[in-house]
Amino acid sequence: MGNSNIVVIGVSTGGPIALKRLFAELPPLDAAIVIVLHIPPGMDYKIARGLDAVASMPVALAEDGEYLRSGHVYFAPGGFHLKLEGNSRIFLEAGPRVNFVQPSVDVAMKSLQKPLKRGRLIGVILTGMGKDGAEGIRHIKQLGGSTIAQDQESSAIYGMPKAAFETGAVDFVYPPNKISKKLVELLSC
Amino acid sequence: MDARMMLVDDEEMIREAVELFLQAEGVDIVTASSGDECLGHLEKGFCGVILMDVMMPEMNGWDTIRKIVENGLYEGNLIVMLTAMDAPDNKMNGIQEYVTDYLTKPFNPDQLLEAIHYYFSLLAAAETADGE
Repeated sequence: MGNSNIVVIGVSTGGPIALKRLFAELPPLDAAIVIVLHIPPGMDYKIARGLDAVASMPVALAEDGEYLRSGHVYFAPGGFHLKLEGNSRIFLEAGPRVNFVQPSVDVAMKSLQKPLKRGRLIGVILTGMGKDGAEGIRHIKQLGGSTIAQDQESSAIYGMPKAAFETGAVDFVYPPNKISKKLVELLSC
Repeated sequence: MDARMMLVDDEEMIREAVELFLQAEGVDIVTASSGDECLGHLEKGFCGVILMDVMMPEMNGWDTIRKIVENGLYEGNLIVMLTAMDAPDNKMNGIQEYVTDYLTKPFNPDQLLEAIHYYFSLLAAAETADGE
């Protein structure tokens, strides 16, 4: 079981700009960051490359079997679901769409397990239509993690953040630049 | 330079207003008044950012995106919805992955420019990488 801190960010339509705003303000963190954006194959690496240009941490497409490293950002490729085994290793899985999408945020978040000792879990839901990620946020909360949703005003589509909020399992609601500050705060205590 | 932005909207006034605004900002833009016309531009090789209205007669924005994907015309493009609707309905289910952004009319000019310049940069960086 991995001991490192893990942040899973789930996002859909409006995501590239929301992620750009979040990562432009984010210093390097003592955490592995996994981004699940609803994206088709062929567009995934373009978005990852764009984010890498503005982020202080390296951003790359996640690879099957890869181990998470703190201070790195893993971008889920299109056409697969991403799961984290033992909170430490990435698995990419074909298979049916979940919540009409692939990759699905719920699949990634629900693959997380309760950290054994150290290791903090944080779930973030940003702009997007539908409810993907709501169950994942509830799961992360049940594991003792922290949860954040984007606010309505800054969301291109206030669907996924609203669905997450309505589970009652969201700790904080902020626009992307304030989510950055909250992540720094949560990971420094 | 080839056209890098396509505006798809059935309302002529919207097309003219957005076209004038973006041309003044130095954006190379073509327009389409229907989903069919949009598909025609793509078949002729258009590659870039597609700014798409949702509510259009005959083929609406969602159905146009479905056709783009079914016909293998998505590659190299990026789609942004430009719509008068506050929130999308469930007709978007199954194609979320192809909708990069969702801007509401009347659009905020600064927001529109920030978005399309960022999207141009994503596509341009990818072209450079492809050519390496």
